[in-house]
Amino acid sequence: MSPAPHAPTLANTPRRDWRAGLTRHEMLLLYVLIAEWLFFYFAGTSTNRRGVIVGFGTWDRQFDILRHSCEIGLLALALTPVIITAGIDLSVGSLLGLCAILFGKLWHDAGLSIPVAMGLTLGIGALAGALNAVLITALRLPPLIVTLGTYSLFRGLAEAITRGSITYTDFPENFLFIGQERWLGLPTQAWIFFSVALAMGLLLHRTTFGRAFRTLGLAPEGALYAGLPVERRLALVYVLAGLIAAIAAIIYTARLGQAKADAGTGYELFAITAVVLGGTSIFGGTGTIPGTLLGVAAIAVLKNGLACLPVVMRLNAAEEMSGLLTGALLLVALSASVLPKILSHLRPRRHTAPQP
Amino acid sequence: MKRYFRELSVVGALLAVLIGLALVAPAFFSPQPLLSLVTREAPTLVVACGMAGVIITRQIDISVGSMFSVCSVCAGLLAARGWPLAWVLPASVGLGALFGAFNGFLVAVLRLPSIVVTLATMVTLRQGLNLIRQGEFVNLPDRVQWFGLSQTAGQLVLVGTALGLLVALAWAMRNLRIGRTLYAVGTDAEAARLAGISPQGVTLLVFVFIGALTGLGAMMNLAQSPQVQPLTGNGLELKVIAAVVVGGVAISGGRGNLWGAFAGLLLLACVAPALTHLHVEAYWEKAVQGAIILLAVVADGLRSRQLKR
Repeated sequence: MSPAPHAPTLANTPRRDWRAGLTRHEMLLLYVLIAEWLFFYFAGTSTNRRGVIVGFGTWDRQFDILRHSCEIGLLALALTPVIITAGIDLSVGSLLGLCAILFGKLWHDAGLSIPVAMGLTLGIGALAGALNAVLITALRLPPLIVTLGTYSLFRGLAEAITRGSITYTDFPENFLFIGQERWLGLPTQAWIFFSVALAMGLLLHRTTFGRAFRTLGLAPEGALYAGLPVERRLALVYVLAGLIAAIAAIIYTARLGQAKADAGTGYELFAITAVVLGGTSIFGGTGTIPGTLLGVAAIAVLKNGLACLPVVMRLNAAEEMSGLLTGALLLVALSASVLPKILSHLRPRRHTAPQP
Repeated sequence: MKRYFRELSVVGALLAVLIGLALVAPAFFSPQPLLSLVTREAPTLVVACGMAGVIITRQIDISVGSMFSVCSVCAGLLAARGWPLAWVLPASVGLGALFGAFNGFLVAVLRLPSIVVTLATMVTLRQGLNLIRQGEFVNLPDRVQWFGLSQTAGQLVLVGTALGLLVALAWAMRNLRIGRTLYAVGTDAEAARLAGISPQGVTLLVFVFIGALTGLGAMMNLAQSPQVQPLTGNGLELKVIAAVVVGGVAISGGRGNLWGAFAGLLLLACVAPALTHLHVEAYWEKAVQGAIILLAVVADGLRSRQLKR
């Protein structure tokens, strides 16, 4: 008997359109994003007295959104594989701060050239990620408490190194180019962000190596029996997170033109929110890079859009509003993800044949 | 002896720090500063008791710092409006319990992971408070500070309350049925369910309880200063979790007790003064705290590995 017509096999795979690449959750998120964008476009754009359009609906503002979402976006990319493997990394925001400080110190105090300082910073980030990795995989400690400890440790080291007051500034022009100028029409750091996103997307979706992360999150025992080197793969995920946090630190420093100890405070929450909003299950096992990118975009548009609303501008409370709404958004996204499961529990169950 | 090895090792470390301080800086032990130090830690101890319960049940609550701030500010506003303290206290405790119930509902009924739920409520509450108050201080009427008593009497009342609560809760956790259910659920929720315990009910209860204790802690904090800072609870969650974990409460649930958490709290509380007396800059406090958490967790990990062999 031939397979049912709607079951795609190798022979009759239907022609894929662009929507085939996105899951149902991601399509929904895309619509939400478009609605959100249109709302801010109409509510947050105005013409000033000279007839120039100001506010949300300008190209400058759109580039600004892109520029400001790169660091949190990078952290979200770093956290996607971590959460897919049913782990968590709360230390990425603190590590961003530590790397920014060390980068500044290497350049300013040790007198290294910018590229060397960058290379060393990336190494330090990977090393810090390796510290998490060793504690989590070799000693089998829960990722939550390990990264809570390093969250405090990394931030504490950054504060201790700067004595809570030193800020490194006066970076050279060609370094600030990364964070403040445009290259080929887009903000420079956006190119770095997109390259990392592409690399992560390829790793997670197009290689067996990366797809194994999902197995690790879904069934670590099963992964072990399938012959996967579970501990080495898990370790890699955290090292990668450290490395990407260091990239984010460099971009952060270049954007603001200064490195200080409180860089990236609270970024881990925005990154986790973006990942969960993007459809990655907090219990591990499922998740995609396109979803995470949509989640990052939704949060970035919200944050910048709010700053353009006349009401919020009058209150001068864009920061607080966006924090509040992001927290609430995370709660809603989480509840929505489990609601179908809860409802199906409530419905009377049909009797089925017992499992053998 | 062997059973409480973990707790005793913390007590040993605490004694070592205290003896070191006695040799290097005897001034640390003069009664008035020591009483002040202990009084400052009294609200933390109350919250730590709740946190121990939550972690023993294999959950975590990182929203306590934000809840503490919100409860402090609300209680301060009520007191400033002329409410008698006898009304402000239940209001603060009730508000905390309400926040706790919200967390508990999401964790127990919707079965969401507590770390993410409380991360979200932490930020929502903190930013909500910033939004409404814009960082404004609340000035308290004179009758609030030390509950209108003399300073020493007020300090003794606060420390006495915290210690009394510790003794009562430690006893309840060890001897009452409800206390034992926390360990049962934390060790194996499914086994607990089969034994007739409702894991969801217990989870909800510990979250409501830590909320109520946070409200109480906020009230105890209120009595110590003439003003309420909106940032008063920032970082409290880390301090409390660190104290509990250092004190031998296993983050994987089902193990530990309040006395260990108490010893852990005292040990961490001595870090800052010890650093000052050793002429280390205070900026290292957070890093040292993080290192102590990691050390405690690593020690636990190595020990449980040894036991398995």
